[in-house]
Formats: sequence, C-alpha cells, structure tokens
Amino acid sequence: MESALSKAVTLMTVALPTMFAVIGVFIVATKALHAAFPAPVEDGEEYEDEE
Amino acid sequence: MELLIQQYPWLDELLMGFLGLTWKHVVMWAIGALLIYLAVKHDYEPSLLLPIGFGAVLANIPHSSAVSTIPGEEGFLIVLYNAGIANELFPVLIFIAIGAMCDFTPLIRRPSVMLFAAAAQFGIFATAIGATLVGFSFEHAASIGIIGAADGPTTIYVASRFAQELLGPLSVAAYSYMSLVPVIQPPVIKALTTESERKIKMGFEGEEPVSQTTKFLFPIMITVIAGIVAPISVALIGSLMFGNLLRESGVVENLSNAAQNELANLITLVLGITIGGTMSAERFLTFEVFLIMALGAVAFVFDTAGGVLFAKLLNMFSSVKINPMIGACGISAFPMSGRVIAKMALKEDPTNFIIQHAIGVNVAGQVASVVAGGLVLALIPALAK
Repeated sequence: MESALSKAVTLMTVALPTMFAVIGVFIVATKALHAAFPAPVEDGEEYEDEE
Repeated sequence: MELLIQQYPWLDELLMGFLGLTWKHVVMWAIGALLIYLAVKHDYEPSLLLPIGFGAVLANIPHSSAVSTIPGEEGFLIVLYNAGIANELFPVLIFIAIGAMCDFTPLIRRPSVMLFAAAAQFGIFATAIGATLVGFSFEHAASIGIIGAADGPTTIYVASRFAQELLGPLSVAAYSYMSLVPVIQPPVIKALTTESERKIKMGFEGEEPVSQTTKFLFPIMITVIAGIVAPISVALIGSLMFGNLLRESGVVENLSNAAQNELANLITLVLGITIGGTMSAERFLTFEVFLIMALGAVAFVFDTAGGVLFAKLLNMFSSVKINPMIGACGISAFPMSGRVIAKMALKEDPTNFIIQHAIGVNVAGQVASVVAGGLVLALIPALAK
C-alpha cells in the first residue's frame, strides 16, 4: 500500500504541474491564433464570424 | 428437488432461472431499478442511467443469455463489450460526438479560463491518493481518481485499460455524480466563499470576437500540442477535436449533424447497456464498489474545491477580481456545472449574469479533463513498473 501511495503522490506531483504547463502552452497558442486571425468587426455585430 | 431433476432432466432446463436465483441478483435488480427510477423520475443523465440500469438487470438474471460467455454462444452484451469497450472504440466515438457539439468560442475569447479547468482536475489526483490509502492498487486508484475528471468517456477509456474489473462501478459512479452536480457543488462553493465573493460581477473587457478561421484551426492546434506532450492521449483529444473540426469546417454539416445526433445517440445507447452488462452481482456487490462510490463523491468535492480555491488565489494577486464560483465550472460536466454556478450567482444577486464566463470555464473543462486523462494514461504504466 505504501508503494501504491507513493506512486499516487508521484502521479500528482508530476501530472498536476505538467497539466498546468500544457494548459499554459494552450493559452499562449490560443492567444497567438486569435491574434493572427482577427474577426472582421462590422457595425452592430457583437461576435465573430464569416471570413 | 435434486431427485426430481434426476428423474426429469428437462426440469433443470426449465427451472434453471429459479434455481440459480440468489439474493444478490435481487439486490442488483433493485440497483438497476434505482438507476432507471433516477433517470425517469428525476431526469438524472437519463440517456445513460436508463440503459445502464436495464443492462444491470439483464446481467443479473441467472444464466442470462445476454451475458453468456460460452464460446460460440456469447451474449450480445459480451459481443458489444468486446467490440466497443475492451478495445476503447465506444469512448472514442462518443468523443467525436461531444467535439461536434462543443462550441469553443468562449474559451478562445478568454483562453485564461483554461487555468481554472486545470485546477479543477485536482480531485483526480487527491482521490487517487485517497484510494491508495484505503487499500486499492496504484492502477486501480488512478482509475478511480479519473472519476474526478467528471467525464464519462475518459473514465471508461482509462478503466478499460487499467481496471477492467471495475469498469461497471467506475462508470456508474462517474455518470451518477455528473448528474448530481447541482447537489454536490453548491454546498462546497458556499463553504469556501464569502457572500461578497459570490456577488463579484465580471465584465467582458478586452474580449474580441472570434473569426471562423481561428475556430477552424483551434482543434488542429490543440490536438498537435496535446499529442506531442502525451502521445497516448491522441485517441481521446484527437477524436474530441475531430468532432469539433467537422463542426467548424462548415463544409461537412451533414457529418457534423450525424456526429451530434445519430452517432451520439447510437453509441450512448450501446455504451450504456454494455456498461450495465458488466454489473454482475459478483463484481458489484462488494465493499470495493462501496468505497469506489464514496471516493467518486470525494473526487467531485475536491474538483470543486480546487477550482474555487485557485480562483481565490488569483484574486489575491489580481486587481480585476474574478467571481471564484466560476472556478468550480472547470469540470467536464457540461453544461450542467456552468448553469448551476450561473444560477447560484443570480440567486445571490439577481443582476449578476456570469453565465458566459461560467460556460467558458465549463468548455475548458472538456479540454482539461482529456489532457488530465491523457497524462494519467501516460503515467500509470510508467509509475507502475
């Protein structure tokens, strides 16, 4: 059980920071993508669309 | 009775159902009936709990031909299990359907909401640790922890790899607690936040509209990044994003509609009844399963707490305050969690509309839960060595 516990603790200490790192990359990449392809804003149109 | 059967051998064939019946079967019928009741009467994930409940009944009729494992005479639930769960096909197909249903626009407009979704996966790891403390092996504990992803297909996918014998209870726990989000989350949120925090209003400053090109490229980008980090997650994230690509491409509306409707309905139907078919009394009526159900609730509580506390932490360093309740929407139970939190905010202050922020975090939860699932999939074999 102790071994299983230490593996579970390792799982948390490795996976949780890794996940935040991956999500961080997602955030940066999404912002870059959003900035690279801005939506044409038309009068009266609140959101998006059509290129 | 034995003398009668010896004298009239055909009686055995006629009475095998009665003779094989035990109290455990009856208890499982009651559990199946309870799941059907919750689905029909209370609308708790009816498209899954109803087939699971009936599958449980089918699996617990003595000598049921539906779950026969006799070579050449395999029951249809066994055939479905081998065709779609043992090889992980059904969860992947469900992800295509979910991807086609998802609109990632709120997430693209405000990508930072993904951080809340990452924090809300805390329950996975806390529960895995808790499961080892009550005696589960590491592989089983990690699979139990995945209930905290609040994501049925991911739970099934991980369980079918590392805890096949626990697939039934894990799936039932995941779907049951997903349907109980309106009951589980509010008390946890209230315990961790003050009234003034729950009344924080959020604006939409700096949020630009999203172009169709961005929405189209987003699923491809996420698949490539997640795939490089955890190649084992490509089946999950790739199918989710493939469904979304169908939706956002704008050129295969028929395929997108088919994924959202026919595919989703058909796979949900066979997935539910097949999972129910794994709930035999011998497997289900154990202390282990009782523990799994308890740990499932723990997972959802820790998920909620993780998201809320992370939002509160960010508020300590940010001048623009976030309503910490939206942190709780980072789980994958979509759109239920977002709606529950938006309703809570309106209850605190009828002029506080945070639904868009809540749904944005909730959509991010779809992505984060798959990423977490992928990492767990990658790390279980590595750590189990």
